[in-house]
Amino acid sequence: MTAAATPSPTGPGTAPSVRQPTAQWAQGPAVPIVSVLAALFAGAILILVSGSDPIRGYLALIRGAFGSPYNITETLVIAVPLTLAGISVAVAFRTGLFNIGAQGQLLVGALAAGWTGAQFSDLPGIFLLPLTLLSAVIAGGAWGAIAGWLKAARGVNEVITTIMQNYTVVFVMHWLLQNGPMTAPNAAGTPASSPIGAGAILPIIIPNEIVPLSRLHAGVLLAIAAVVVFWFLMWRTSLGYELRAVGLGARAAAQAGIDPRRRMVLVMFIAGGFAGLAGMIQVSGLFHRVFDGFSAGFGFDAIAVALLGKNSPIGITLAAILFAAFARGGTIMQADAGVSSHLVEVVEATVLLVIAAEAIVRALAVRRGTPAEAIA
Amino acid sequence: MKRILALAFISLMVTVTTACGNLGGLGGPTIKIGLVTDVGGLNDKGFNSLANQGRLDAAKDLGVETSVTESKKQEDYVPNLTNYAQQNYDLVVGVGFLMTNSIWKVAKQFPNIKFALIDGAPANDKGDTENLPNVANLFFREQEPGYVVGVIAAMMAKDKVGKATHNTVCSMGGIPIPSVDRWIAGYQDAVKTISPTTTILHGYSNDFVDQAKGKEVGLNHISKGCDILFQVAGGSGLGYIAAAKEKGVYAIGVDADQSDVAPGTVITSALKRVNKAVYDTVKAVKDKAYKAGDNFFSATNDGIGIGKIDPVVPANIKTAADQALADIKSGKIKPKTEIQVKG
Repeated sequence: MTAAATPSPTGPGTAPSVRQPTAQWAQGPAVPIVSVLAALFAGAILILVSGSDPIRGYLALIRGAFGSPYNITETLVIAVPLTLAGISVAVAFRTGLFNIGAQGQLLVGALAAGWTGAQFSDLPGIFLLPLTLLSAVIAGGAWGAIAGWLKAARGVNEVITTIMQNYTVVFVMHWLLQNGPMTAPNAAGTPASSPIGAGAILPIIIPNEIVPLSRLHAGVLLAIAAVVVFWFLMWRTSLGYELRAVGLGARAAAQAGIDPRRRMVLVMFIAGGFAGLAGMIQVSGLFHRVFDGFSAGFGFDAIAVALLGKNSPIGITLAAILFAAFARGGTIMQADAGVSSHLVEVVEATVLLVIAAEAIVRALAVRRGTPAEAIA
Repeated sequence: MKRILALAFISLMVTVTTACGNLGGLGGPTIKIGLVTDVGGLNDKGFNSLANQGRLDAAKDLGVETSVTESKKQEDYVPNLTNYAQQNYDLVVGVGFLMTNSIWKVAKQFPNIKFALIDGAPANDKGDTENLPNVANLFFREQEPGYVVGVIAAMMAKDKVGKATHNTVCSMGGIPIPSVDRWIAGYQDAVKTISPTTTILHGYSNDFVDQAKGKEVGLNHISKGCDILFQVAGGSGLGYIAAAKEKGVYAIGVDADQSDVAPGTVITSALKRVNKAVYDTVKAVKDKAYKAGDNFFSATNDGIGIGKIDPVVPANIKTAADQALADIKSGKIKPKTEIQVKG
């Protein structure tokens, strides 16, 4: 093959994933549903082995996630950042990039929102809220675009750069928030920033008269809007078409006149923007400030959410709600049924395992000669 | 097929209703205690696990019904505390200063539920402390056990006992916050008082979980001549102890008795009896003696102490440590609360 000598249009070291032929059954929601059920079954066995009652455990889980209006709102509160970070991963995935950096991009967005919201706290909400939002989206986007640029210009693997960027953000946060430039003067020992202005706060959309203590904020509306934007962008605009074309085959896309490098930088900006928005929502909707150890792990759970949701708008939304239900319900399962909440993590991991196994099954199916007309 | 599905659905509903009935049958006159850990989790060998020990002891001795919830993220504190309050628990205990604002939010909403917070006082949305009539703030005088282990470290260094040959003692905190720094302040105070010629080094791992970061600081300290290392950094501190073990020098544990972490390396531990604080608070609720606001645990009420002392520590040093503890109890020694050596 002489291709080794010719410079690849996607830069050195690039091997964009080419979609494998897929059997019909693997296209729909069958695989995610089966994987979740299998994981729940495995979890039930583990609960039994650990000496508890799985039925009681799972009932507590369901009650914790959906058992009361308050619990439903709390589940949605978790689902919001998961959905947005899930879109961040998916939009990159659709373009053939693996964004492990949603966590770091989320934190950068949160820092930007926390800084803007506190710095201009006197501005009225009509200016301050959009300003806070934009600052988070741009900061998260710029942070993500670094990985996209490194990939496009130098062929640096985005998996590595985004992981390293996550660490960078965590340490910058330590510096900023532990007696650093952003630490609130009266933080009382807690490494936290000053509170954002009233104008930067996303209001609670379900009044406490209806659901007492509800924390469900307008961020849920932003998340829904983001899902629609994601769908529209990817499937209703020419840019989305180009991004997906790059994802399906960068060389073919280049042949068709689409420059994969520019799309890579752009899509990582978009991915970072969605994650940054998630960070902004956590600041403006929940905490009204940033603190060290903020929103740990959402960006990583988001990878699972995107995979389970098959990188589709509806799928991601449902997967985010499911993972949020696991998170909230798992905690209540521990409180009410005495089952360790870490068990839910085992269930989540099993879901991923089954999804990963799908790739193996698919490869076997292809080798066995699944009819070509079954390929979508 | 449809019929099977319908049957399955009906049987599920029946299970749900009966099981819910069972759950509803709980309650009655027994006192219910809910414990919410911070993100450190139950296996931190530190204050979360100690608080849980206090809960289990109370369940055994006092006949109270207890439950525990581990928080995975800081986002979880409010809903986890709320869950117990909504179910009318008699006492909801939050572990750690990270919950100061969350406990303020929840306790305000449930004025009839009693709360207790380890290592902190409720803080309002502006970040200012605002005491509530239904929150007990359980504080410890960490400088006291810090001072006592400081006496041991200073004398070991001064007398060049065993592997302590460089006359240098060190400490590492998790992050620079008052409840971490107080330990170190007492430790340094003792060293400065007893052995002014001893070099003191101090650093932070900037983490309470990651052992690798603690080990890095430890190896750095040892390379500068430290042979006694005192950690106040939760899980990260275990890495600091691991560095001491690897290089064959001494370490001092914190919170719980950590002599079993590295026998022969850990010469003693500075104890903060969080278990006693939880137990005493549960007992106070049961005896209707619960007191909101600041509650201090110190040498005076055995809320602090020191752990098992390794045989490598000579008898005269042990005696000096016991004497220091007694002097703190009697008020003769008042350990400093501000760090003197920051680097």
